[in-house]
Amino acid sequence: MNAMRFDNGFRRGETLSFSADGVTVRAHRGETVAAALMAAGMLGLRRSPRDGAARGAFCFMGVCQECAVHIEGALKRACQVPASQGLVVELRGAV
Amino acid sequence: MAAAAHQSADLIVIGAGPAGAAAALAASHAGMEVVLLDEAAAPGGQVYRARPAGLSLAPEASGPDDRAGDALRAAVAASSVTWRASALVWSISGAFRVDAVTPSGHESFTAPRLIAATGAHERVVPFPGWTLPGVIGLAAATILLKSQGMVPGRRTVVAGCGPLLAAVAAKIVAGGGTVAAVVDLAGPSDWLRALPKLASRPDLLKQGVGWALKLRQARVPVLFRQTALRAEGGEALERVVIGSVDAVGCPTGGAERVFEVDALAVGHGLVPGSEIPRLLRAAHRFDAAAGGWVPERDGFGRCSVAGLYAAGDGAGIAGAEPARLSGYLAGLAAAHDSRFVDAATVQREAATIQAEQARLRGFAGAVGRLMRARPAMVGAIAPDTVVCRCEDIRRAEIEAAIAAGAREVNQLKHFTRCGMGPCQGRFCGETAAELLARHVGSREAAGYWTGRPPLRPVPLADLLGTFDYSDIPVPEAAPL
Amino acid sequence: MTAAYDLAVVGGGIHGATVALFCARAGMKTVLFERGSLCREASGVNAGTLTMQMTRVALIPYALKAHAMWAAARDWLGHDVGVVVCDGLSLAFTQREAELLSFRAGKRREAGAPIELISGVAAREVEPGVAEGVLLAGHCKVDGYANAYLTGLAYRRALIEAGVDLREQTPVSGVAREASGFSVLTQSGAVATRRLVLAGGVWLEEMTAWLGIDLAIKVLINQLAVTERVAPVMRTVVGIASGLLSLKQYPHGTVVIGGGWQGKGDRARGGAELVPESLIGNMRLACHAIPALKQARLARAWAGLEAETRDALPAAGPIPGIPDAYVCGSVHSGYTSGPYIARLLAQRILGQESVDPLFPIDRLLTPPVAPLLPSAAGRAADEQPHHV
Repeated sequence: MNAMRFDNGFRRGETLSFSADGVTVRAHRGETVAAALMAAGMLGLRRSPRDGAARGAFCFMGVCQECAVHIEGALKRACQVPASQGLVVELRGAV
Repeated sequence: MAAAAHQSADLIVIGAGPAGAAAALAASHAGMEVVLLDEAAAPGGQVYRARPAGLSLAPEASGPDDRAGDALRAAVAASSVTWRASALVWSISGAFRVDAVTPSGHESFTAPRLIAATGAHERVVPFPGWTLPGVIGLAAATILLKSQGMVPGRRTVVAGCGPLLAAVAAKIVAGGGTVAAVVDLAGPSDWLRALPKLASRPDLLKQGVGWALKLRQARVPVLFRQTALRAEGGEALERVVIGSVDAVGCPTGGAERVFEVDALAVGHGLVPGSEIPRLLRAAHRFDAAAGGWVPERDGFGRCSVAGLYAAGDGAGIAGAEPARLSGYLAGLAAAHDSRFVDAATVQREAATIQAEQARLRGFAGAVGRLMRARPAMVGAIAPDTVVCRCEDIRRAEIEAAIAAGAREVNQLKHFTRCGMGPCQGRFCGETAAELLARHVGSREAAGYWTGRPPLRPVPLADLLGTFDYSDIPVPEAAPL
Repeated sequence: MTAAYDLAVVGGGIHGATVALFCARAGMKTVLFERGSLCREASGVNAGTLTMQMTRVALIPYALKAHAMWAAARDWLGHDVGVVVCDGLSLAFTQREAELLSFRAGKRREAGAPIELISGVAAREVEPGVAEGVLLAGHCKVDGYANAYLTGLAYRRALIEAGVDLREQTPVSGVAREASGFSVLTQSGAVATRRLVLAGGVWLEEMTAWLGIDLAIKVLINQLAVTERVAPVMRTVVGIASGLLSLKQYPHGTVVIGGGWQGKGDRARGGAELVPESLIGNMRLACHAIPALKQARLARAWAGLEAETRDALPAAGPIPGIPDAYVCGSVHSGYTSGPYIARLLAQRILGQESVDPLFPIDRLLTPPVAPLLPSAAGRAADEQPHHV
């Protein structure tokens, strides 16, 4: 676990689960796939095209493209996709 | 073949943060038909981000930003502005046709006037290990904290410059996380020098002092005149090495400290996102105090291209409240230029706004100075450090391209591929330009990336929709 | 007044740069003027396609020889432009396209291009990424592509190594005839030269006007698009019967989509504006041909300016009535055939026999000074050249 959820006045939506590379990930409605993965300790989302270095979400606002992975078969920025029940995420990027 | 849907209006506003929302509302109240577009699901931009559906805030936990954001969203909803959410604008042509991918597919909007209010993005000067999973931006940490109710890791180092350092660190502490250290490029003397101007906005100063006290209470080490020298780890961040810098941000080579952490939130200022004025070939100038290249504008935000206005941080970094005021003036100007409002009204309203802008200028300038670009930091980047994240281009390759004759950033791009990746040069652009400027004499000489569509990478599947082969209007065959 | 040169070339695209390169290597003291950076106009932003299947029939012999030059770029240019030699396919999806393809492939084959007509099934064996529904395909093994944006760096190194006085960021405002040649007018003064080559691409019309020659050059605004890097989706160069699609995937994974779909712009502003319908039409065609492309994201779109003469054939040869003055450009698929045509001109300038005829501009001037010889025109009587 890396990112940690805090209470402090937040009321979260109902729990749900989705899969990332076959691993079941718990999340709450309202969380993005990138944030939920970070909370589950899955920081590495893909590998860089030339060096094959591990990469994870960086800007969380849809600009850096580091979190662009295959979600339901299409390349999407994980920081912009709301986690939903049964979503299938593959931790690989465009290449 | 037209887009799936097409709409005409008097004015299109792109970006629904404080500037864009204010612009749209001002123009709409003057009687203009306004379309307001944003990629997000609700207005508010980054600073007043709406909470996602499912997450709600207990009333006692809401702060001034939450209230301001809710008010902004309520005002837009109550107005006659046509609000289009989740709209990824990918092309702007003519004067002006805006093409966007929305949940309904490919749509286009036309209006004779366009206001660009697309905000800023973060500047991060590269250092070894900055691409490791677990290293995120300061603004990114803010999004995790405010919109997702999460702290970035079990133990976090917060590094960089500006008031966002204290804001992020204090929110992590409030959320039950551990801040191993706050690492500030600035020194106490920089903060003291800024203090009189910061005091011109007592509400914000009080907020900042509150953060500082919270850090003190939690015994968070605050290290001044220090920087994250490198981030280390295998597949993800495991530790951050901190060291001293001088007044211009250059490492002094002194003793290093190591913090075992699983998160690093780092940010070195903000850069105006002036992609739309650049795409439309508006004149720009380099303004270091404003964060970098900004469109040339008059006092109302009119750019050098007729019918185009720019407002908010996208036209020059100044903060949320100045953004709102500049947005209002741009909306007012668009209304006047379209003959919905007479010159006398403009004079009257503008006078108040401009007086308020003057009052806020001191604070914005002081914060801007704390968050300014520090070219010496770029000079200190180690040769094998990745500069272009998308394409894994290292500083050494950029220097080799400059030695081979690259004289401005677009030529540098052709020589190295730096800037050709999906972030479209947003994260490497500042560093590449600064490296080039060291050889060609100035940032002005180094230039800026030529604006090209799409404004953001756009999935072909979304753009093309479903079609039959016979739908494709193939032009006349090429000559034999 | 600076030192006299044997040759001054105005315009730093591949035509100008190649002429300068071969002349300098043969001993001519050469200066090349480029108002911006080398090979950053058409030469740097085109699709880089090296195909016979989109080359005009009249230019096939030249394109074949140029293809061999590109394939051996390391030998004569000395630096890498990322040339990949691979198979090319031109596809027909409808009966009308199949007829058009048969006719065109036949004509090109007659002109020497080794194009075979194959079935849709056979096409899918050559290119597994191609869609179903191909009725007929033109298959050519002499095909491939280069990486246009690497051209500037490669030529820069070659020109400097050859001792060319390379003057980038040096606009030329005019040219005057002198007793012993010409003087080229720049901001920092006039440069004297014995011989002159105008190689200004779409700006050739303005350049020839300096010498009182009225050569009309049409400007095409060709839109191009590139995806981000993606996993392999294709391994050949793909086009369609009408010639209005070019598609290839580079070794690093990006896919470049072109074909001459028009944007908006002009000589003064460049490729200023995208026409969204044009881009979408082009990409729909590309995705129809290679369906896996639909998974990709568009990363960048731009337009490049292409020069076209009235008969869409090159302007390459001596300027009539003005000794020691030459033009080189408007080749049509100039990137494909350019290096060979420019080398022919260099041979002519050096007083050597050129194996293949050049394309003197006499035919294009008003009134025409002399018609182009039929063998060099090679135009099918019933095909009129036009672009949208």
